[in-house]
Amino acid sequence: MADKPNQDGAPAPTPEQEVRRLYEEAETRVARAAERVVSRDSFGELLAMVTENAVALTRIGNEAMDLVLRNLRIASRQDINRLTRALGRTEDKLEQVLQEVEELRDELGSSSNGGSNSRRTSRRSSGSS
Amino acid sequence: MTALERLARTPIAALEFANTILTERDAPIGTTPKDVVWTHRNTTLYRYRSTERRYPVPVLLVFALINRPDIFDLRRGHSFVEFLVGEGYDVFMVDWGVPDESDNDQGLDFYVCDEIPSAIRETLRASGQDEVSMLGWCIGGTLSLMHCGLFPDTPVRNLLLLTTPVDTSGSLYFNWTARDSFDVDHVAEVYGSVPGRSIDWANKMMKPVTNYWTTYRRLWQAIYDGESKPDAHQAMAKWVADNPPFPGKAYREWITFMYKENRLVRERMRLRGTRVDLRQVDQNVLVVTAGADHIAPRQGTLPLLDMVGSEDVTHFDRPGGHIGLMAGSRARKEIWPDIAEWLAERSDR
Repeated sequence: MADKPNQDGAPAPTPEQEVRRLYEEAETRVARAAERVVSRDSFGELLAMVTENAVALTRIGNEAMDLVLRNLRIASRQDINRLTRALGRTEDKLEQVLQEVEELRDELGSSSNGGSNSRRTSRRSSGSS
Repeated sequence: MTALERLARTPIAALEFANTILTERDAPIGTTPKDVVWTHRNTTLYRYRSTERRYPVPVLLVFALINRPDIFDLRRGHSFVEFLVGEGYDVFMVDWGVPDESDNDQGLDFYVCDEIPSAIRETLRASGQDEVSMLGWCIGGTLSLMHCGLFPDTPVRNLLLLTTPVDTSGSLYFNWTARDSFDVDHVAEVYGSVPGRSIDWANKMMKPVTNYWTTYRRLWQAIYDGESKPDAHQAMAKWVADNPPFPGKAYREWITFMYKENRLVRERMRLRGTRVDLRQVDQNVLVVTAGADHIAPRQGTLPLLDMVGSEDVTHFDRPGGHIGLMAGSRARKEIWPDIAEWLAERSDR
């Protein structure tokens, strides 16, 4: 319907294409403006304040909920976390034992192969605990 | 399309649009077959076996603590893992899992000094090799870099760092978090583990119109024009929406060490009492930056090129964003082959 060619020979855009182009141009400008806004110091301050408020509300909610659960004699999240941490520590110790066993197995393997196995392990090199 | 056709198309497009959005969570991602090699706490090491293994040195993938590592294996035909396996690499991937409040006390040292060394060790055991290529992306890159700077004898032969923050000054995150009014200690103390949704919200607020409006407007437009690829949108949307919490101590240290004090570039980063010395990084190093990266801007990674001690340092600078660089539709043709080529030259015995 509006394919009358431009001066460069390309078909002229239809009204729909023109509207879309103008819209996208406007959207790009708004996006850039929004990016400028969020990079301002004042936005950083606003964000810090919003975070502080959200944190304060979370703390109040958590404390109230823990108080209710404790009075009902039901294990609260803190109690479960304590138990999970204890399990985590046990797993850490098991992991250390596993690493020791694997190193000993490697040493046994290399000694039975006449000491030819020179493979490094990260633990030996990094000394992780 | 006539006016009548457009009118008829609108409700169909609306239905398709709603269907695409509502079924995002059902999109299959991370589907390349894998084996569990090792687990510790929340961390899991996966192995993707290559049937046509050509290079002896295995590749260990390390992703950030925010979002899930499925981005390495997004969807069939657009999976970096699948690509590497097809190239003949034995691929391993660290998955940090989903931490909860019991993991609040895990700091950066836990990842750099415990989990990464253990993952390397298990990779070597499983592959039967002496050395490994470690590829870190985003925070995963910084953790990998810190590991190499902390342990000079680590059996990492090649270190590949994708969109890795090093010097954070000048970045938008720096502007938001380095200020005194942002009390990171208070946030970490109260939240324990910082909710992934909060971090995702902050990430999206960096480009609010693009993330909250343009993405969906483009999807609508593509559906309306009959050019949509719902698989691509859904896989990415599912990955973006999957935000594990950031363990409190690690979050506090990340913000304090990297943003408030910018320690890495000032050579003051210490973990477990030992200074991270980037001059000790003598691996073959590949640094990949993205020109339109607003999370880890290019200029914040470049100082690394002069800081590492390695004599083999390569830098690829490509157009694209923080994630789009590696997971965008053009990544398979534009960046993956270059990474594979760089790696191939350094992965023989």
